[in-house]
Amino acid sequence: MIFADLFFLFLFLPVCLLCYYQASRLKTRNLILIIFSLIFYAWGEPLWVFLLIFSAFFNWFMALQLEKFKDELPGKILLAVALCVDLGFLFVFKYTGFFVETINAIFRTGIPVPSIRLPIGISFFTFQAISYVLDVYWETVPAQKKFRHFLLYLSFFPQLIAGPIVRYSDVEKELTKRRVTPQDFYEGSTRVVIGLTKKVLLANNLYTIVENFFGNGITGLSTLGTWYTVIIYSMYVYFDFSGYSDMAIGMGRLFGFHFNENFNYPFITSSIAEFWRRWHISLGSFFRDYLLYVPIFGKRRQYLNLFLVWFCTGMWHGASWNYILWGLYYGFWIFFEQKLGKKAMKKWPVWFKHLYSLFLIVIGFGIFYFEDFGQLGQFFLNITGISMIVNHSGFADPVTWSSLLNNLFLIALGVVACLPVLPRIRTWFHDNRDTRIFKIGKISWVVICGVALVICSIALVDATNNPFLYWRF
Amino acid sequence: MCSVSPEVLEMVTVKKETEMTEKEIYTRLTRVFQDVFDDDTLQINGETTADDVDDWDSLSHITLIAAVENEFGMRFKMKEVSTMANVGEMVDLIAERGH
Repeated sequence: MIFADLFFLFLFLPVCLLCYYQASRLKTRNLILIIFSLIFYAWGEPLWVFLLIFSAFFNWFMALQLEKFKDELPGKILLAVALCVDLGFLFVFKYTGFFVETINAIFRTGIPVPSIRLPIGISFFTFQAISYVLDVYWETVPAQKKFRHFLLYLSFFPQLIAGPIVRYSDVEKELTKRRVTPQDFYEGSTRVVIGLTKKVLLANNLYTIVENFFGNGITGLSTLGTWYTVIIYSMYVYFDFSGYSDMAIGMGRLFGFHFNENFNYPFITSSIAEFWRRWHISLGSFFRDYLLYVPIFGKRRQYLNLFLVWFCTGMWHGASWNYILWGLYYGFWIFFEQKLGKKAMKKWPVWFKHLYSLFLIVIGFGIFYFEDFGQLGQFFLNITGISMIVNHSGFADPVTWSSLLNNLFLIALGVVACLPVLPRIRTWFHDNRDTRIFKIGKISWVVICGVALVICSIALVDATNNPFLYWRF
Repeated sequence: MCSVSPEVLEMVTVKKETEMTEKEIYTRLTRVFQDVFDDDTLQINGETTADDVDDWDSLSHITLIAAVENEFGMRFKMKEVSTMANVGEMVDLIAERGH
């Protein structure tokens, strides 16, 4: 089941909320959330729901055991076993095919490639489980004694299939003690609508453009057309992913959970390193806290740990070499910025910093899009203009111009939505808290969200194109 | 040839460790910080966190840790590197294991 779906929005979620609020005890409420979460997962993955439950049970049990030993040898062994099993599952389900294909390509062997379907969300819940086990090992949180609390943490449907990667330490208290204030409900529900709007009205429509231009290969596409489409694609990924995160955070609030933000207007960044502090924050902080300082490279750790982090970041996004290349591409630019030093970068004019960052980020999304290396090569020929010489393709083409003109409103809306306009408006209203303006603003915002919900619903009834980006994660 | 028993050696080390006062650690550590962040005016205290030092991000943290380990002849555990909240905690670890 996915969020941007009429069945989910108008049946599953309301029924879940009704059941939740009619129960008065937290124990019952948690049980209701667990049942609904498992139904949510089983809807698309009737078999793999048992893998999810096993993963929850296994990690809960291991953490409880290793807590007894702390830093002693048995604790270390238990930790190693837990990590091996977690990563082993992830590897088997996600990377076996990729691994066999790579072996076949290198050694020219003909090992049959097994077709294993990826259990949805496995990359997210595995990482959550790993963060928990490591936190317990490091004694930053006590192990959870009750399995049902841990199962709820791991399977809670708002964050189950597309993040954010919620840390156990952030929700530990709320698992056993929380309440939903009217403010939570107001902010949560409007946040869900913001996310839905990003996904349905912006992302889905932007993706139609991307498919038109990139969908059938890009040989012959003009330089301007390639730039145009890859910029549209960058915006699409942002709205799709951050829209899902908004919905997850909003739904969390509706049930009294406060998740950390996962995106913070990444396109207004002035460096690549800053971009990764604004984009998919929960993944970046996961790698920072649990991988960046891994002590395996000794004196060379400064470089090799960075390489490892970005290799894994790339690989996490999908079992294909282009994702690894994409990760390493970012690793390279972050290394570049590190060597250049912040002092040198501070001297750059502001406009240049933004242009430099956006230029590299947009090209990065090209690498992210093309799994086929032939097409990726063509993408680079197009985007640099070399194809104008090699293939005699033009700089611009009439199809691009007409697409740009036809979608001008959508694109303008997209650009505005990439900028922190909403927080500014919000701050302005909050500065006038005691005046009538504040009340009017609040009511208008509810009306706007209501209208947006209706428009999104109509769009979903009519939807022919509602891609789901996370099947690969 | 005279041989030194392990007990005596241990006593010597313990003596040396206790000799390293907090003040001394801060003096040496400040030099390391100034070196790593290339800023001779940089001053640190127990409350200093990564937010207070302009260039102290997750990557330069690796450089810093390596430099501190070098200076005090010790190793930090991964847990310590990841969860260290401020300079004070770093100093506590140095006092415990560094020399």
